[in-house]
Amino acid sequence: MILRKVSYKFSLYLCSAFLLIFCGIPLVWMLFTSLKPLGELLSYPPKIFGHYTLSNFKRLFTDTYFLIYLKNSVIVAGMTVILDIVIATFGAYSLTRYRYRGKELLANMTLFTYMFAPIMIIIPVYILLQDLKLTNSHLGIILAYTSISLPFTLWLLRAFFQSFPAHLEEAAFIDGASRFQSLMYVVIPEALPGIIATSVFAFVVVWNDYLFARILLSNPTMKTMPVGLQDIFESTIVDWGLLMSGSMIVTIPAIIFFLVVQRFLIEGWGMGAMKG
Amino acid sequence: MNRGRSKEAFHGILLILPTLIIIFGFIFFPVGYSIWLSFTNKHAISPTYDYIGFANYSKLFSENDFWFSLWRGAIFAAGTIFFQIVLGLVVALFLNQSFRGRGFVRGVTLFPYMLPTIVVILLWKWLLSATYGPVNFVLESLGIIHSPVVWLGEKWLMASTIMVGVWQFFPFVVISLLARLQTIDLVLYEAAKIDGANAWRRFIHVTMPQLQYVLFVVILLRTFFMFTKFDVPWLMATGGGLQELLQNLPVLAFRRTFGFFQAGEGAAISVILFIMLILLAIVYFRIYRKEAEV
Repeated sequence: MILRKVSYKFSLYLCSAFLLIFCGIPLVWMLFTSLKPLGELLSYPPKIFGHYTLSNFKRLFTDTYFLIYLKNSVIVAGMTVILDIVIATFGAYSLTRYRYRGKELLANMTLFTYMFAPIMIIIPVYILLQDLKLTNSHLGIILAYTSISLPFTLWLLRAFFQSFPAHLEEAAFIDGASRFQSLMYVVIPEALPGIIATSVFAFVVVWNDYLFARILLSNPTMKTMPVGLQDIFESTIVDWGLLMSGSMIVTIPAIIFFLVVQRFLIEGWGMGAMKG
Repeated sequence: MNRGRSKEAFHGILLILPTLIIIFGFIFFPVGYSIWLSFTNKHAISPTYDYIGFANYSKLFSENDFWFSLWRGAIFAAGTIFFQIVLGLVVALFLNQSFRGRGFVRGVTLFPYMLPTIVVILLWKWLLSATYGPVNFVLESLGIIHSPVVWLGEKWLMASTIMVGVWQFFPFVVISLLARLQTIDLVLYEAAKIDGANAWRRFIHVTMPQLQYVLFVVILLRTFFMFTKFDVPWLMATGGGLQELLQNLPVLAFRRTFGFFQAGEGAAISVILFIMLILLAIVYFRIYRKEAEV
């Protein structure tokens, strides 16, 4: 019995160690590479000690278009999230608080969009946006991103609104509030943590996307970071210090997202909303 | 009363209208347009085109390039799906145990899923680099290999890409399964224990039946996502001159549309992919129903 307990404990430690190495060490290596001077990176065996420097970040900001990519990414992801959340909040409120025919069908139909491969959507969207002269513009890509992130933000917000007790709203109605006032002053403040979590999630999905940005933005001054970083890779090839410092910066929203919603995620929040 | 109802319905529809416009305008309409384009010789940039019937389809079916891409895509998808499900299941069961530092281990495990694909690919290209990469160094130090392995060369490229795909996406499986595992009633385990079931039998007769449905959904979703994955195979192959080895149907559609400007062909490839996935989903549902009956 004791032997069994010891071996159970041992296997728990073994699994923990495996996961920390498998998932954690690559990330530590990324951080470490971004802080090493180029000369020391191309030595074999890899040197863990020695110099640490911010010179990679400095080169990234002065020698490449990285700051432009960063600005573009912030604009595109930020605008998409604002548009997305406003539309989805109204939509989710309608789906949870109003009664009309075909409501369930509408909700399910938005989820059905998961069935379409992104490539199947982006080829015609590219052609359509070209006809509208909206390729190489942020407006075009913001609209495209809103459409791909809307289904899951809608479902997430619907779940948040459903879990929110209706009687608080009824109290507001008795006090003479209109539907709109109730939405603004009762429902949204109450659902704010959910709205924030959903926004950050949508932000990360848009921020991380490569395919749409690759196709819709070819002008270097319009590109977002994932495509920009790939361009830097193709023009430098082995400048790993530079590439890893860029990667660190691209990862920042993911880290913020993680800190914001870690608790939800670990409790298995929003399973149906994951995409990728 | 009836009047109030129809007014309510009107307001409700008004609120959902922007959602419908976006989803119809940018998803359903493009999908329909894509199906139409697949029957035309549309050039990616010039606007005029003709209806050409099934010519794009018959051309594709007669091309080795198409069948080879289908095959390479199937290897990539099957490999990543199988390993991420197995690893995800084992890790979810483990992370459902209670031990000290569990929250931290869970956090670290889920993190790769949050990373942008471009970061995942660059990071692993660096880790797997033949000449200066730490993976070769560690394996050599441990005596597992005796000379550096070219992980991103012809021989190992597919295996490395599958590994990278599993690394990035198995946390999805973990999150989903963990959510279900946490809601299984512990009383069921107590009852099984009293009946003398050992850990393995408890897993088979208590955990698995409870997990079955979520597992089915996860496998279905992962199948859709992995067969339609563009960025992982595309980015893993750039710079190596080995594109063909990782060319799945989405990559082929991309190259035909934006490399050769044959948007009609690109659309046809994406339609074939879509039909294939629908058929696959039907097979899955059949199997699942049979399993569930037993």
